[in-house]
Amino acid sequence: MLTVQDLTKHYGPRIALADVSFSLEPGEFFGLLGPNGAGKTTFMSLVAGLRPADAGEIFFNGERFSPERIEQRAQLGYVPQDLALYVDLTAEENLRLFGQLYGLSGALLRERVAEGLRAAQLEKRRAEQVRKFSGGMRRRLNLVAAVMHHPKLLLCDEPTVGVDPQSRNAIFEFVEKLHAAGTTVVYSTHYMEEATRLCSRIGILDHGKLLAIGTLDELLAELPFTEQIRIARNDATSPHEAIFQQFGQVSTGDDAYILQPRAGLHLSEFFAAMERVDVPYRHLTVTRPSLENVFLHRTGKSLRDG
Amino acid sequence: MRTIFILLEGEVRRFLRDKSGLSLTFLVPIVLIYIFGHVFGVSGDGPSGIPLAVVSETNAPVAATITAALQKEKALRIITTDTQAKESKPLSEAQVRERLRAGSLRFALIFPPDTESDDRFGVRLKFLENPRNEIETQTVRGLLEKTIFTSAPQAFLASLQKRASKAIGQPNLDQFNHSLAEAITKAFGGDANETYARISKGTLPTNTGASSTSGNSFLDKLIKIDSEQVTGAQVKSPMATRSVGGWAMMFLLFSLSGAATSLFDEKKVGLYQRLLSAPVRRTHILWSKYLFGMLVGLVQLGALFTAGHFLFGIDITTNLGNLILICFAASSACVAFGMLLAAIAPTSTAANGMGTFLILTMSAIGGAWFPTSLMPEFIQHLSKLTIVYWSIEGFLQVLWANCTTLELLPTLGILLGIAAVVNIFSIWRFNHGQIFE
Ligand SMILES: Nc1ncnc2c1ncn2[C@@H]1O[C@H](COP(=O)(O)OP(=O)(O)OP(=O)(O)O)[C@@H](O)[C@H]1O
Ligand SMILES: [Mg+2]
Repeated sequence: MLTVQDLTKHYGPRIALADVSFSLEPGEFFGLLGPNGAGKTTFMSLVAGLRPADAGEIFFNGERFSPERIEQRAQLGYVPQDLALYVDLTAEENLRLFGQLYGLSGALLRERVAEGLRAAQLEKRRAEQVRKFSGGMRRRLNLVAAVMHHPKLLLCDEPTVGVDPQSRNAIFEFVEKLHAAGTTVVYSTHYMEEATRLCSRIGILDHGKLLAIGTLDELLAELPFTEQIRIARNDATSPHEAIFQQFGQVSTGDDAYILQPRAGLHLSEFFAAMERVDVPYRHLTVTRPSLENVFLHRTGKSLRDG
Repeated sequence: MRTIFILLEGEVRRFLRDKSGLSLTFLVPIVLIYIFGHVFGVSGDGPSGIPLAVVSETNAPVAATITAALQKEKALRIITTDTQAKESKPLSEAQVRERLRAGSLRFALIFPPDTESDDRFGVRLKFLENPRNEIETQTVRGLLEKTIFTSAPQAFLASLQKRASKAIGQPNLDQFNHSLAEAITKAFGGDANETYARISKGTLPTNTGASSTSGNSFLDKLIKIDSEQVTGAQVKSPMATRSVGGWAMMFLLFSLSGAATSLFDEKKVGLYQRLLSAPVRRTHILWSKYLFGMLVGLVQLGALFTAGHFLFGIDITTNLGNLILICFAASSACVAFGMLLAAIAPTSTAANGMGTFLILTMSAIGGAWFPTSLMPEFIQHLSKLTIVYWSIEGFLQVLWANCTTLELLPTLGILLGIAAVVNIFSIWRFNHGQIFE
């Protein structure tokens, strides 16, 4: 469906994207996970044909993608990170205009406009100017405006920024519905929870480099541990820091220690040691590692630190 | 093409929704034209009258004749008496000079004691001026020359008689005058004795007196200037017709450069990312902006000329087809200017600043405020580089000279040519610039 090869983009001396290569099968839900400035928007804009790449190539359905070829762009839907709407027009007029630009007209256009308004939960406010909408409403409209033509490939650039949990769920459901209907999705985010929940395959991007790519399980499998133990940090636990370190690598946070058990360790050994020094179980939690750990493992820094 | 019209429809919808923008585009220019019109007195026949003091220090009849003729000039307001004094008495030269220095008076005509003299042929006058305003000064001088030369021939005649009497003796002159009167009456008709009497006195009345005599018609026939206004003779409201094009151009430039800078706002919210990822090309966006600008321009010009028609009686119907053509060409040149601003300026603030500067400069040297013919020569050359100049030229050709389409073609060609060249440059800039990134 989409193949990128050695995609590279500089802005002056700054490198925004460096030799990014991967390939997507039709129907995949691909997550591009990376902190601020990782190059997510740059990647999207190259694939959407908004700027030329400095090097590398993009293939769309096996054909070389060229921004000049309008019929290729017609199969693509792009949800920009910015709220790209005509604020003087109503919700309905915006959808109508973007639908028309994708060649829709007549009954089909009316149907898609109605569908979009429903999906964006803006049916009651369809005739209101977008300038009167809240940020979340605009986000939802921004998303549906890009899929009026039911694209084969949907590029979503951080579509949930600044949205409350309810709107966020509405957006998830909408994108999942499109995906279920056969749309291939590239979804960029800096929330690992979103990538975990939505994506069938995830690429981790940092400083323009694609550090890792795979399904969630594949990514987690490269970690040298399969679970970790969170130990609340308090008077009962802190005297025993030295003991924790006998079982693996410990990182100390403000309110907890995170223990990554060394390979081959049986967790029961650790719990037995805790019983011996009278640390109550309620201070201990076993968790599955997350993309956060993968990011930390790969870059040595937290995803949230950016 | 369809894409362009979809985008254009969006532009129009947004424009119609923006009430304050709408009123700025149409109402404000019309109101301003109305105000300007009255400030410059275009609805009448020109300025209400430039004050001109006339001081007479002689008894020579020519002084009274010229003064009377000047008083008939609408463009002048003749002051002969000192209105500030309790009893009105004639002005003196000293008083006039004082007022000129103070600036309360700018022009004075003095008939000195030796206005006529035996040892000199003709009339001597003194003109005093404080030329604060070049245009005004030219106007007054022109009017003075005209009046004096058409109303003073008798002064020459009187002085001629005196000198002839001295040179050849009165009896000989009488005889000469008799023969002259006879010759005149033979040639032009009238009563020979009456003509003789008038010739001897040297005071043939020109166009004054109710008793229009043969002598009068003789002078009329002797010196007769047929003045004919070759173009614009039929124009009902000359001042307004001459000015409306210039004003219209200025407003047009302002509103269209504003429309073009909307490109920056749309870039800011990322709209071009969305549009250009859709099956939309940069040229589609630019053309939709262009057509939208043309539309606004045409409607605005239409509104202005209609206002000019109802407020000042400008005749827009006689040459309507050509008026539409020139409006079309002027609008496209103005939109091209606006697009150029958007193409070269880095931000909308910069575009607005540059726009204001360029528009005012072009309006000034292009003749929107006062005629280019009054400007220094090198400025007149610069004028021809501005779209304001050529548009005004076109409007005058249509409204003033009632030109045919064929005669208008060169002007249309120049305007459309400027638009084309500017557009090619802008499109090149847009394709290499930042606005669509
Ligand atoms: N137009 C531009 N000119 C110069 N540098 C740019 C431009 N756009 C992006 N960059 C730089 O390129 C790098 C990648 O930016 P990009 O916007 O792709 O990151 P991102 O992953 O989308 O970040 P965010 O999560 O903040 O949206 C950053 O260092 C950014 O400063
Ligand atoms: Mg981004």
